[in-house]
Amino acid sequence: MAVIETKNLTYTYPGGTKPSINSVSIKVEKGEFVLITGPSGCGKTTLCRCFNGLIPHFYQGELKGEITVADMDTATHETHAMAKSVGLVFQNPENQLFALSIEKDVAFGLENLGMPREEMRERVDWALKLTDIYDLRERSPHEVSGGQQQRVAIAAVLAMQPEIIVLDEPTSFLDPLSAEKIFEVIHELNKKLGITVVLVEHRLDLTAKYADHIIIMDEGKVCFDGNPREILSTEETRLIGVGIPKATLLYHILQKEGVKLGDVTPLSSEELAKLLQEAFETK
Amino acid sequence: MSVFDGLKFRRVYSPIHNLDPRIKFVYVCAVFVVAIIFSEILPLIALFLMPIPFVLLAGVQKEWLRSLRGAAFLAGFIFIVNIASNFFTSGYVLTAGAVETSAAMTLRFVVLVESFSVFFLTTSPDHLGLALEQTRVPYEFAFAFTTAVRFVPVLAEEAQTIMDAQKARGLELEKGGFLKRIRNYVPVLIPLIVSAIRRSLELAEAMESRAWGATKKRTNLYALKLHRGDFALLAITIGVLVVAIYVRLYVPVPAISQFL
Ligand SMILES: Nc1ncnc2c1ncn2[C@@H]1O[C@H](COP(=O)(O)OP(=O)(O)OP(=O)(O)O)[C@@H](O)[C@H]1O
Ligand SMILES: [Mg+2]
Repeated sequence: MAVIETKNLTYTYPGGTKPSINSVSIKVEKGEFVLITGPSGCGKTTLCRCFNGLIPHFYQGELKGEITVADMDTATHETHAMAKSVGLVFQNPENQLFALSIEKDVAFGLENLGMPREEMRERVDWALKLTDIYDLRERSPHEVSGGQQQRVAIAAVLAMQPEIIVLDEPTSFLDPLSAEKIFEVIHELNKKLGITVVLVEHRLDLTAKYADHIIIMDEGKVCFDGNPREILSTEETRLIGVGIPKATLLYHILQKEGVKLGDVTPLSSEELAKLLQEAFETK
Repeated sequence: MSVFDGLKFRRVYSPIHNLDPRIKFVYVCAVFVVAIIFSEILPLIALFLMPIPFVLLAGVQKEWLRSLRGAAFLAGFIFIVNIASNFFTSGYVLTAGAVETSAAMTLRFVVLVESFSVFFLTTSPDHLGLALEQTRVPYEFAFAFTTAVRFVPVLAEEAQTIMDAQKARGLELEKGGFLKRIRNYVPVLIPLIVSAIRRSLELAEAMESRAWGATKKRTNLYALKLHRGDFALLAITIGVLVVAIYVRLYVPVPAISQFL
């Protein structure tokens, strides 16, 4: 069952001369881990804004085509109505935290929904523990590191227990190690709770291995959509400027040189290491 | 950077900081009323001394002294005006009584300033925001208040960064006359305003995405509950009011100058 489905979605910002996304038709299945990538300015953030109704409710401009998210038509459902089903985590953690304590920030969405206090307390603690920031709950957002702020932003969205969580480059302000930790948290949420994850990310080295499905965009259009192992093997994706994982590149170079490795294209160094090990052992 | 450190919000724990800000506010108002109904110096001295235990318990004596020093200039002015008007209206004689009344007027002003400063010195902004949320104040207003507390230091830091960047490009802020100097700040202000607008848009977007405005009946993670200390302060407040009103009505308050 598709939880997100768009048909020929085209959107132009007010005053824009050309559409920022152009006839995008995609489908995201329930429980999937979807990776969206593409060069800067190709419309990834714009697409995310469509998923929870910020476009067309917060941003005017011209929206054409169809989009349903969690069985709702975003044209008729305001963003705050979508918020229960779709959580959106933005690029810059600093500007999405506004309370004076971390737990108060995590509670913000629930307060807005009018949830009773006891239930809210439980949800907040649950989200804080899941993202491993329970001990920081009484600190102020400006006192913690960027990685911790990003966790707060994720916890704030999780506390609302949405079906779908959309993350727009959630680690662009982080070092690779903190980024990796965040991706592991997201991956666990996807596996354990069955939350559908849509992740916008440039760092495929760290994320491709988690993806069930990858969507590559360029100049507002979707140019590839499908299985990451197949798509990341094509020459065209590299030419668009997608950061193909090093392991995948190396695998193809070795294949071309005539080194026989397994049939499954690796997406991470661990997977490649395993293939190499197997190759050595069978020799 | 130290200039901006003062703007940063710090949570402080002390028996006084933990008191319910609403009760503290009621106390401040009571002190206000009492200070208005007495013009004799003895009760005003008592009112002046009363907050001292609070100040000591909260550990804010330094800040408290600083605020008193801030009020000193205006207090001196009030004293002189009072004395002078008394001197000229009573036939160019200066009586002990006149000095005492002028001192009492001055002290009344100091008491008002003092009680407000003690309130703000011992109430952390998040507590105040919470109190605003839980009284009848519209939530938007309380939200604006806490968000301002959260972002003022961020903007201050940004202003510093922009200033440094523009100086590195050769902007001379401290040059020229008064008007020229104001004009020097334009290249700092414009990027600051642009960035503040961008920031507020992102903030609004994030609020929308977290169900801002979903219901009229918002709930709150925290509840302000009255503790023993709050009841004690409430009792003190009522006690002070009752005693003050009783004394005003039935007991003649002596002036110090009578004993001289
Ligand atoms: N608020 C806006 N108003 C007008 N135009 C915008 C706005 N946001 C983005 N655009 C334009 O839409 C296009 C797509 O931008 P978008 O932010 O969606 O790209 P992106 O893929 O998220 O890029 P990045 O990887 O840099 O975040 C760009 O040409 C951009 O200039
Ligand atoms: Mg973007």
